[in-house]
Amino acid sequence: MIIVSLLLVLLALLGAPLFAVIAASAMWGFANTDVDLSVMGIEIFGLAEVPILLAIPLFTFAGYLISESGAPRRLVRISNALLGWLPGGLAMISLAACALFTAFTGASGVTIIALGALLYPALKEAGYKESFNLGLVTSAGSLGLLFAPSLPLILYGVVAEVSIDSLFLGGILPGTLMVVMLAAYSFWVNRHNRAEPGKFSWIEVRDSLWEAKWELPLPVVVLGGIYGGVFAVSEAAAVTALYVLIIDVLIMREVSLRQLPRIMQESMVLVGGILIILAVSLASTNYMIDSGVPDKLFAMVEALVDTRFGFMVALLIFLLVLGAILDIFSAIVLVVPLILPVAQGFGMNPVHLGIVFLAAMQLGYLTPPVGLNLFIASFRFEKSITSIYVATLPFLLILAVSVVIIAFWPELTLYFLRD
Amino acid sequence: MAEQQSGIIARLDRLGRLVENSMLVLLLTSMILLASSQIILRNFFDSGFVWADEVLRILLLWTAMFGAVAASRQNRQIAIDVLSRFLPGRWNSLAMTLVQFFTAGVSGLIAWHSYRFVNDSRIYEDLLMGDWPAWIFQSVIPLGFALIAYRYLVFGLASASRVIRGKRAIA
Repeated sequence: MIIVSLLLVLLALLGAPLFAVIAASAMWGFANTDVDLSVMGIEIFGLAEVPILLAIPLFTFAGYLISESGAPRRLVRISNALLGWLPGGLAMISLAACALFTAFTGASGVTIIALGALLYPALKEAGYKESFNLGLVTSAGSLGLLFAPSLPLILYGVVAEVSIDSLFLGGILPGTLMVVMLAAYSFWVNRHNRAEPGKFSWIEVRDSLWEAKWELPLPVVVLGGIYGGVFAVSEAAAVTALYVLIIDVLIMREVSLRQLPRIMQESMVLVGGILIILAVSLASTNYMIDSGVPDKLFAMVEALVDTRFGFMVALLIFLLVLGAILDIFSAIVLVVPLILPVAQGFGMNPVHLGIVFLAAMQLGYLTPPVGLNLFIASFRFEKSITSIYVATLPFLLILAVSVVIIAFWPELTLYFLRD
Repeated sequence: MAEQQSGIIARLDRLGRLVENSMLVLLLTSMILLASSQIILRNFFDSGFVWADEVLRILLLWTAMFGAVAASRQNRQIAIDVLSRFLPGRWNSLAMTLVQFFTAGVSGLIAWHSYRFVNDSRIYEDLLMGDWPAWIFQSVIPLGFALIAYRYLVFGLASASRVIRGKRAIA
């Protein structure tokens, strides 16, 4: 049994697709407990029994489409018009714009490609230091994970069977904390940068808003609709996809009909990659729960740490390591079913666990050796990966502090959830 | 991969890609239109299709399977892959061969066992959406995994031939 597990881990580290590794472990487990393996078919068909999953392809497609349009440029222009007159304003613009963009496009690295490419030269021109700019753009690329309607939040809700609406509410303050802390740091680093801030102009504000008139209603309708209880999440996703499709292809015509099949196909490849892991995980999770793995895990953890404080410390260390080796989607699907019962055993609220989990995984985008954002930034800005490590480090440390705050201050997450 | 094959296999491969891409576009478009019209019908006309939710969930399953098949065609399945980049030439190819045959084997097993599930469902005449046989919609599962197994088998054979010729893996 142990040999098989080690073998599977080795295969995973050698680059075997995760779905195959997970499926193999589930089938091995079922076979050993004399369960007929046709159960795999039943479990995978379970994908068709979770209505909320519909939100995943729809939001992903909308996100891909948005990033191919002129929306990133317009978003930067509006932010610039509103905040550009502040000293350090451009850095804050970058953070705010990236967070909003990531929330809608789902943290698959498109933020760095679509927005970073606009912000990086702008920051340079405004007299910010090279390494600061690189670090800012790289770390901002996954900021906003905690804001609705980000994909990882939805996936956590599905896996943990927690209401997505509560997760959306729970993410507001912790997500804001992360943005504010990075903004404060940017402000402080650039306090001697007397680069002349832009002037505030009502005309520019008006023009930039007018230019984005088609996109502006989107966050309002989607977020208002979800938080206001008008739409279910998957309905909001459908509205978003249809709306973005109509404005980008038919009204503004920034994406041609000819490009559309490629964008659809690319986004659905990502969706297929995520959902196939989810599908086989449904099987492996059921096997593990049947054989009492979470209980054993809880007993084991309880033997090691006996306080909630100790558990939280252990959890954070575990999540940091996890985030450095696994991508966020696989980590949610694989690990959440196991640690959720343990965390609840220590009296942790599932919404709080989700926010801590995602916040910690966000650091994983920036930690060597496999942090996705590091590679994308290195590739996109043609800098060595080591220079990106160095540039990102201060931002990483600040985000780490924010994760600790989020973990040990549950009221921050649960503030909007009090009855 | 396709350049190395010739004749009928290459043509089948191109046809397969075309079918997968068209299916993905078709499935996604139907999901967007059906889900949106459902919202419009409900909010403005106080009606809707009773079967819509079930159809949407089936569309999702199909999208997931076709997307996963397309992901394996570009070898773009989500993987960790921290060790192999440190392996030198031939060892790298060897690791790739191992991993790809393993993936082909696992996918083949899932395809076979989910085929048995679908077959049972056909024998017991399970129904979906009122009176449609469920097996028609479920058969995408064995079909998808069989295609994934086939793709990885082809990858594995190509990597194995590189091991034999002593070259570094390409994928």
